Amino acid sequence: MRRLIILAALAAPFAALETPAAATGAMTCNAPKAKWKGEPALVKKITAEGWKVRKSKVDGGCYEVYGTDPQGNRVEAYFHPVTLEKLLVSRRGEVLFRKK
Amino acid sequence: MRSRSSWLVWGLLAAPAVWFVSVAEGQSAEDLESLLHPTGELSARLLIVALALTPLGKLFPRARAVRWLLGRRRAIGVAAFGYAALHTLFYVAAMGSADDMLAELGATGIWTGWAALALLAPLALTSTDRAQRWLRSGWKRLQRLAYPAAVLTLAHWALVHNDTWTAVAHFAPLALLQILRVLNRSGARAGLNERQSHA
Repeated sequence: MRRLIILAALAAPFAALETPAAATGAMTCNAPKAKWKGEPALVKKITAEGWKVRKSKVDGGCYEVYGTDPQGNRVEAYFHPVTLEKLLVSRRGEVLFRKK
Repeated sequence: MRSRSSWLVWGLLAAPAVWFVSVAEGQSAEDLESLLHPTGELSARLLIVALALTPLGKLFPRARAVRWLLGRRRAIGVAAFGYAALHTLFYVAAMGSADDMLAELGATGIWTGWAALALLAPLALTSTDRAQRWLRSGWKRLQRLAYPAAVLTLAHWALVHNDTWTAVAHFAPLALLQILRVLNRSGARAGLNERQSHA
């Protein structure tokens, strides 16, 4: 019995691997998908503002961007999918900006 | 003279590095960021395996797979450091300037990574038979730095990106094995005290 418990616990990381990439919970947005502006529109807008976008995706219903902010920090940032407003910017897990 | 299986193990452990470097060659400095997670994750996994083998060997002394891996623990530990070093190299190349690295050094997710690397480096450097003979009993004490290095690695992984649960799930088995080790040890001690009081 004890061995079974140990083996089950040792398998825990594999269970974590099997779960599909869920929302991280860092930020959530609730906006009807029909009104979303699309990732290309966001990338175009913030690139014009001085951002360098390495990767963008959807997380928690928001657009999440990995890249460099206009100040040159390597960050991950969340934007609202409809208003394209900046919601959260964090650098290596350290919050640099959070919308009040 | 190394055995053939020993060369095979070193070769298998080195193979992902060849792949990572070949991918990195075609990329711009900023795109190297995408190689940080896979190299760091591999390093952490190897560190977890290396640290889990001793307690696993005590729990399952007859398991052949555990015994086989225990015989290759040095290679696994050295590979854990090797991928941590490659991970750091990619990070430095991706950042490109000391100023940029210093600017984010204060983030808990970053300094914990540097500290873990700093603890692992002397362990890898003293991993040879000769260093082991030279350091005598101090060698084992030195190698125990791998435990604080594991704690720092967990903190680094959990904090640097919104990936806390994956990091915790990876380190949970190691924590469990350590708890069992302590429980077994105190259990053995209690048994000993009982025997002494009966004497």
